[in-house]
Amino acid sequence: MKVQCELCPKRCVIEPGQSGECRVRINDNGVLRTVVYSFPCSMHVDPVEKKPLFHFLPGSKILSIATVGCNLHCRNCQNWEISQANPEDMPADFYPPKKLLERTRQYGCPSLAYTYTDPIIYYEYTYDTAKLARQAGIRNVLVTAGYINKEPWRELLKYVDAANIDLKGITDEFYRSVCSGTLKPVQEALVEAVASGILVEVTNLIIPTLNDTEQQIRELARWVKANMGGDTPLHFSRFFPHYKMRNLPRTPLKTLDTAREIALAEGLNYVYIGNILSEKGENTYCPSCKTLLIERTQYTILKNELKDGCCPNCGKQIHGVWK
Amino acid sequence: MTRRKFIGRLIKAGSMIAVGAWWLTERVVPRRFIRAGLHKKYPGPLKPLGDINETSKWSG
Repeated sequence: MKVQCELCPKRCVIEPGQSGECRVRINDNGVLRTVVYSFPCSMHVDPVEKKPLFHFLPGSKILSIATVGCNLHCRNCQNWEISQANPEDMPADFYPPKKLLERTRQYGCPSLAYTYTDPIIYYEYTYDTAKLARQAGIRNVLVTAGYINKEPWRELLKYVDAANIDLKGITDEFYRSVCSGTLKPVQEALVEAVASGILVEVTNLIIPTLNDTEQQIRELARWVKANMGGDTPLHFSRFFPHYKMRNLPRTPLKTLDTAREIALAEGLNYVYIGNILSEKGENTYCPSCKTLLIERTQYTILKNELKDGCCPNCGKQIHGVWK
Repeated sequence: MTRRKFIGRLIKAGSMIAVGAWWLTERVVPRRFIRAGLHKKYPGPLKPLGDINETSKWSG
């Protein structure tokens, strides 16, 4: 008999022996099962700035894992070799949640990131590991497109400390044509994440000709400010031709600089530029007195002037998780 | 036909319809799940992961 997966808004109806769109949740004789639980295909110790998270334990290392599969199929996916792969074709290793926590401690990481593909599709693995990690004093970070239904999202957020969530565009048409998804569930997930009290940073990949007009960028910044608050860190990321979108050029630095200026003018306090070397775009400044607080280049912290999470000059508390 | 026989046939026909409807529903309406159960075996090859200490080439 058929099963319906209610985890994400795609609500795949799966025939016996088949998998959903994510490729990793299957109908096994009328029961929905995940084939990637405890089987990451990738595991690395990354700087937390690479997620990107700029307001969460700066300069710390984070054990980062992923399994194969994704519920979106972005034509520009940077990690398509693992996100759009079938588990049958991708080697993995056996790491049940407890073993994962041992590795996290072994590598001296204060936190664990569920990333690279999308932790939504390895939900059960993420959830069980995050629950154990919370008990063990290890922080949990999600790097996700936020394409998930409300009920499982709320459950998962109980054990999450921080998340970088993509807002890939600000129109439903963009999500439908580029990502095979829809905008509304992502916006709802963003609002829900902020309401849950975790640290949320937002990433927007700017793709030339598709989502790079000043009007689109302004609209996106306004939406973030109105629905998530002016202190939400926003990262504008540079596009490189990948996967099924090799016909478009890289995002010019000028476009990214303009996007940053627009978002700052719209009232967002922390706006960054990523995937490119930039003089100011990677630094954190005090929104009140404009003092340089954290100086970064690539994923390295050159200077961190924060004093107990506050600006040393004017004393303003800076939004984030600093210890 | 006696009244007793008629009621017996009615009950038999009714229960056959009910079983048929249940059988059909089971096949047409999918069972809904949020949380998936665990599959016993990974369908792909098992191989030790590379150097964990090395920064990932993947985005994110």
